Amino acid sequence: MRINLIGFGVIGKGFARALVRKRTWLREKYGFQPEVVSISDVTGTVVSEGGLDLEKTLSSVERTGRVIDCPGAEEMTGLEAIREVDADLVVEVTPTNVDTGEPGLSHMLTAMEAGKHVVTSNKGPLALEFKRLTETAKKNGVHLKFEASAGGAMPLINLANEILSGDEILSIKGILNGTTNYILTRMTKEGTGFESTLREAQELGIAETDPTYDISGSDTAAKLVILTNAIMGKNTTYRDVKIEGINRITPEAIALAKEDGYVIKLVGTVENGELEVAPKLVPMNHPLNVDGTLNVATFQTDLAGEITIVGTGAGAMETNSAILSDILSIFRNSRG
Amino acid sequence: MRIGLDIELKDTPGQLVRALEPVSRLGGNIISIVHIREELTKKGRVPVHLTIDIENDGALERIIKELGERDIWVSKVGEVKKKERMKVILIGHVVDTDLRDTIDRLNEIPGILVADMALSMPNPQQETSALMDIEVSRPEKAKKAISELERIARDKGLAVIKSLGV
Ligand SMILES: NC(=O)c1ccc[n+]([C@@H]2O[C@H](COP(=O)([O-])OP(=O)(O)OC[C@H]3O[C@@H](n4cnc5c(N)ncnc54)[C@H](OP(=O)(O)O)[C@@H]3O)[C@@H](O)[C@H]2O)c1
Repeated sequence: MRINLIGFGVIGKGFARALVRKRTWLREKYGFQPEVVSISDVTGTVVSEGGLDLEKTLSSVERTGRVIDCPGAEEMTGLEAIREVDADLVVEVTPTNVDTGEPGLSHMLTAMEAGKHVVTSNKGPLALEFKRLTETAKKNGVHLKFEASAGGAMPLINLANEILSGDEILSIKGILNGTTNYILTRMTKEGTGFESTLREAQELGIAETDPTYDISGSDTAAKLVILTNAIMGKNTTYRDVKIEGINRITPEAIALAKEDGYVIKLVGTVENGELEVAPKLVPMNHPLNVDGTLNVATFQTDLAGEITIVGTGAGAMETNSAILSDILSIFRNSRG
Repeated sequence: MRIGLDIELKDTPGQLVRALEPVSRLGGNIISIVHIREELTKKGRVPVHLTIDIENDGALERIIKELGERDIWVSKVGEVKKKERMKVILIGHVVDTDLRDTIDRLNEIPGILVADMALSMPNPQQETSALMDIEVSRPEKAKKAISELERIARDKGLAVIKSLGV
């Protein structure tokens, strides 16, 4: 299988590392021999029709931080690479944008129109144009898979749609953002204020320099939309979600909740067609009460009752567990 | 299920214990006992109101039968609807934005009662956090209470933290 890799940041590099690490294992276990034929970032693209030497590309980009500095790299954009470099599948891991969905939206549409499968961790395009994307996939007879976009390593979409395919999923509730969960956990354990705890999380590299997207609830909302559409067959968008972030939570509120047997968590819920992201009082003995950067989601189903999954919602290797599983499922399906 | 029982005892010592014995023995969990010795019924008996939790109708019937055999009259039996409790936290200038008015607006809705409240004020300049305990007569009332609270919160610039599941 030949792959165009679009985006070479945390997740893109993690993908290359995972392939290097598991090359032999993938071949022996599945007879799967993926070749990355192009890698693009904002600065340019490296191409090798026969498959790039991933270790060389990784060490070159680690030195200079730019794909364009790799030997033989061209000033070719990601979009051009998708159009011009022959491949079966595009791994789209550029930054999420929940206003326009770009550049990911154009990358995905172009890829599918060119008959290429798409595997992505990019939430923006899916949270805005889910229907258009899935219809484009269908029309062109290709697969679009995005397990990594909602819940990182937690296999939520595949669990609901494959393993629980005889159940109807009635509601989804989850903690889908590790940064906010970390901040609230620390505030609960240490009794500290929001601002100082956020700064601590930034120093540890858990929160971004601009943490708005996480703490405002936007990231959780984008993931909730993807889960709702993919699992419950709905056609919602990011704009349908009622969103409330965690920036007004006080240590006093957390202490009052604690005295009464509750913790405060940022929870995304979809129930009776309503999508909401808001801090909620969660009973301490409830399965959603997970600590630190962990994520969790509970499905209420008609036959199985409640099913809860806990796992890591982000991280280079964890997220690539989902990306690789999507690619392997396409590989198995397209071999017939 | 929770059951309310009005029973009438003979006005002699030891009768209440005789009444409670079969209740516990047959699996009833006694929640409350209201025993008014001064107010005898027309027939000279002592009225007692019991609230018990019990597994099933069968056990209830056996309790009533045994009470009858002990000459304890059962004048009324009925299921008691359990009140739902809902916790909510408000953050902001909860007191300065007329707390009385906030509570009144909630209590005006039929079936809703602000039953308890705990406040935490770090200092006068900073925002107050308040944990409200709201009693609702039926689960659907919880949604009503929440939407009124969200309206109040918008008017008064407060943040609302709801319970999971409402
Ligand atoms: N990090 C996680 O743990 C995680 C988990 C789940 C999902 N995700 C999602 O996965 C995606 C990637 O995340 P990340 O952490 O790897 O982000 P990142 O480190 O910021 O990397 C993004 C990469 O995309 C490249 N890029 C930006 N615009 C491009 C364009 N027009 N054409 C080609 N390449 C372009 C960037 O190039 P330059 O470096 O040259 O700007 C960079 O290499 C995001 O959508 C994110 O939401 C991330």
